[in-house]
Amino acid sequence: MSKQVREKASWGVSYGELVWREFIKSRLSVASLIFVVFLFLLAIFAPFLANDKPFVIRLDSQLHFPIFRNLRPNDYCVFLAAIVGIVQLLLIRRNRRRIDPSIRGAVLWRQICISSSVIFIGGILAFVFVPRRLDATDYKALVASGKAADAIFAPIPYGYGRTDLPVREQPPSRQHWLGTDDVGSDVLCRLIHGSRISLSVGFVAVGISSVIGIFIGAILGYFGGKVDFVGMRIVEIMMAIPTFFLIITIVAFFERSLLNIMIIIGITSWTGDARFIRAEFFKLRKQDFVQAAVSLGLPLRSILFRHMLPNGIAPVLVNATFGIAGAIFIEAALSFLGFGVAPPTPSWGQMLSLGVGTTGRFLWWLSLFPGLAIFFTVMAYNLVGEALRDAIDPRLRKAV
Amino acid sequence: MSEDGILLSIQGLSVSFFTDEGVVKAVQDVGFSIKKGRTFALVGESGCGKSVTALSIMRLVPEPPGKIVGGEIVFEGRNLLALSEKEIRRVRGNEVAMIFQEPMTSLNPVYTVGDQIVEAIRLHQKKSTSEAWADAVEMLRRVGIADSQQRVREYPHQMSGGMQQRVMIAMAVSCEPVLLIADEPTTALDVTIQAQILDLLDELQRQNGMSILLITHDLGVVAERAEDVAVMYASRIVEVAQHQFSDNMETSKIGAGRLFAEPLHPYTQGLLKSLPRLGFSGKRLRTIPGTVPEPLHFPSGCKFHPRCPIGCGDRRCRTVEPKLREVEAGRCVACWLAPGYETTEESKEY
Repeated sequence: MSKQVREKASWGVSYGELVWREFIKSRLSVASLIFVVFLFLLAIFAPFLANDKPFVIRLDSQLHFPIFRNLRPNDYCVFLAAIVGIVQLLLIRRNRRRIDPSIRGAVLWRQICISSSVIFIGGILAFVFVPRRLDATDYKALVASGKAADAIFAPIPYGYGRTDLPVREQPPSRQHWLGTDDVGSDVLCRLIHGSRISLSVGFVAVGISSVIGIFIGAILGYFGGKVDFVGMRIVEIMMAIPTFFLIITIVAFFERSLLNIMIIIGITSWTGDARFIRAEFFKLRKQDFVQAAVSLGLPLRSILFRHMLPNGIAPVLVNATFGIAGAIFIEAALSFLGFGVAPPTPSWGQMLSLGVGTTGRFLWWLSLFPGLAIFFTVMAYNLVGEALRDAIDPRLRKAV
Repeated sequence: MSEDGILLSIQGLSVSFFTDEGVVKAVQDVGFSIKKGRTFALVGESGCGKSVTALSIMRLVPEPPGKIVGGEIVFEGRNLLALSEKEIRRVRGNEVAMIFQEPMTSLNPVYTVGDQIVEAIRLHQKKSTSEAWADAVEMLRRVGIADSQQRVREYPHQMSGGMQQRVMIAMAVSCEPVLLIADEPTTALDVTIQAQILDLLDELQRQNGMSILLITHDLGVVAERAEDVAVMYASRIVEVAQHQFSDNMETSKIGAGRLFAEPLHPYTQGLLKSLPRLGFSGKRLRTIPGTVPEPLHFPSGCKFHPRCPIGCGDRRCRTVEPKLREVEAGRCVACWLAPGYETTEESKEY
C-alpha cells in the first residue's frame, strides 16, 4: 500500500458523509430531494423554458437572439449563482478526495468566501451594466405574417407578464397546457416563473430568520441568568403573537414588494431557531473545550461563533428546511389573500386566488395546478427536513 | 519568605454558589502564595474547592450561580478580581494559562489541533498564519509528539488521551504564560502516561521558568515535584508545607517531602496512612472513617472533627473553627491539637 493510499484510508468518513449515507437510505427522502433539485432547475432555467421571445429568429435575413437580448439583470444573477453553486459543489467533491482533512475546513471556507463574493460582485455588475430592455415586439405575429422565419421558440412560448385577453380564463388545451388566467397568461408559464419567487422567498426569509435566531439564541444561551430570563420572555411574547396576523399587519404598512415580504417573514419567524440555539449553547457552554477557549482569553465573538456554533448548528439546519417550507407557505397565503406580491409578478398563492374567476365562475385549473405546486413543494421540503433530522440524529428515529 | 519572589498571592478568597437548596460555600478564606518558577500543589479530595479556587484565579467561576464573595488575588501587583472583563481577557492565556482534567473534551472536536494552537498563538502574538503554523508544529514537537508535522493536521478524536493532553499543554504553553494552572492534568490518563505528562510539565517549567499551580487529589503526583503544598479539606486549607531554603543543598527540603515526612493535620495523617505502599499485601487499605461533609451541611467547629481520630472529644474542635496558623518555618496548619498550635495567639485567647 503506497503512503498516499494509506493516508487517505486513515482520513476515515467525515460527518457529512455519514449524514449523507443515512439520508439516502430512505426512498421518500431521496425522491423529495430530487423534486427540490427539479424545482431549482425550473427556477434557474425559467426564461428558457417559458418565454414569448424565440431563441433564434431570422428577420430581414439576419439572425437575432431575442431571448438572450432580453434577459434581465435578475436572470444573470440567477445564472451566475447557479454556475458558482455547481462549481462549488464539484469543488467540495474534489476536496473530499484531494485535500487533506485538516485543512479542508479552511479551504472550504476560503472557497465559500470567494464564491459568495463572485456572486455578490457579479450581481452588482449585472444590475449596473445589463440594460433593462422592454422589447414589446410580438415575434409570433411576425412569424405568422411571414416577415420572419426560422424561429425557435421556448417549449412554452408565452411570457408570464403577457396579457392576451381573447384567450382569458380558458381551460387546459393544446395551446395552453394548464389553461390561462384572467388576463390570458399561460398558467404553466406563470407556474414555472413562480418557482423562482417561492424559492427566493423561502431561502432569503429563512436566511434572515436564521441569522437573527442564531445571534439571539447564542447570546441567551451563553450568558444565561438574567439575560436569558428577559430574552426568553421576549421570545415567548413573540411566539404568543399569531405570526400570520402580525405579518398581515406589517405588510399593510409597507409596499407590497417581494423583498419586503421576505424581510417581514424573516424577522417574524426567528423564535424557533433562537430556542434551538439557546438550548444547544446551554449544553455547550459547560463543556470543557468552551471553558478552555475562555481560559485562553479568546474574544467572545470567537467563542460563540467559531467554537460553539459549529457544534450546535445541526438543529438549525434541520429547522431551516422546515422554515423554507413554512416561508413558501406563508408567502402563498399572503398572496392568496392579496397581501403578497403584486401582479404581474407570478406568485403561486396569487394565482391560486384567481381560481374564483372574474365572473364568479370556479376555474378549477387555476386552483388545482398552483395548489399542487404549493403542496408538493412544501411537502418535499418537509420530507427533506425530516430525513435530515433523522440522519443527523439516528437515535431520535429509534426512540419514536 | 521574601516578598519579591512571589508571583501570585491569594488572600481570604471566599467563593459561594447560590443554589435553590441554599448557599454552598465552596471556598472559604483560602490564602496562599505561589513563587516565581515554582510548583505549588493544591491537594484535596473531590468537591473540596480546589478547582473552584483555580477557576477564581482565571475568573472563570460560573456566575450565576457562583460568586466570589470576598478576598483578593494579587497577580504581579494587580488584583485580578478587580479587573474589567477586557483586562482579565488579556491576562487569560497570555499570562495565566490553564489545562483541564479531561483532555478528551477540552479540545474542540470540529477543528484540527493545529487550528486550535494557531488560534491561541495568533491571539496573543502578532504572527502570520504560516509563522503560527510553524510555531504550532514546533510546540507539538516540544511537548513530545512524534511526527508533529503530520499530527498538527489531525483532529482531536484521532489522538489518544495522553496526546490530547500534550496538545492542551502545547496550547497553554504556546503563549509563554508565567503561571500555568494544571487542574488535575493526569486524572483521566493511565499511570504511565501520568508520569510522562508530569515530567513534561517539569521540563517546560525548567525551559520557560513559569510557575505551576498543580491541582490534584493524588498525593503520589505531588511527591517530589511540588516545592510548596497546601492540603484542602471541605473548602478550607488545613495544612501548608513550603519549601525550606537552605544554602546547603543537602539540608534544603521540598515542601512535599516535609509534608510526607511529618504531617501535622490529622486529615493529612489519615490520607498518608491510607496510601497503599509497596510490599503491602493481604489486608484492606486503611481509610479515614466517615464521609466528606456535604457542603450544604458543614459540621460546626472544625469541619474534620466528626471524622477526626484525636479531636472528636474535644469541645474546642466541635465549636470553634481553627484558623490556618504558622507553627514552624514554612509549616502552617489549622488544627487545635496540632503540635505547636497551642502557642499561637488564638489558642491562648480561647
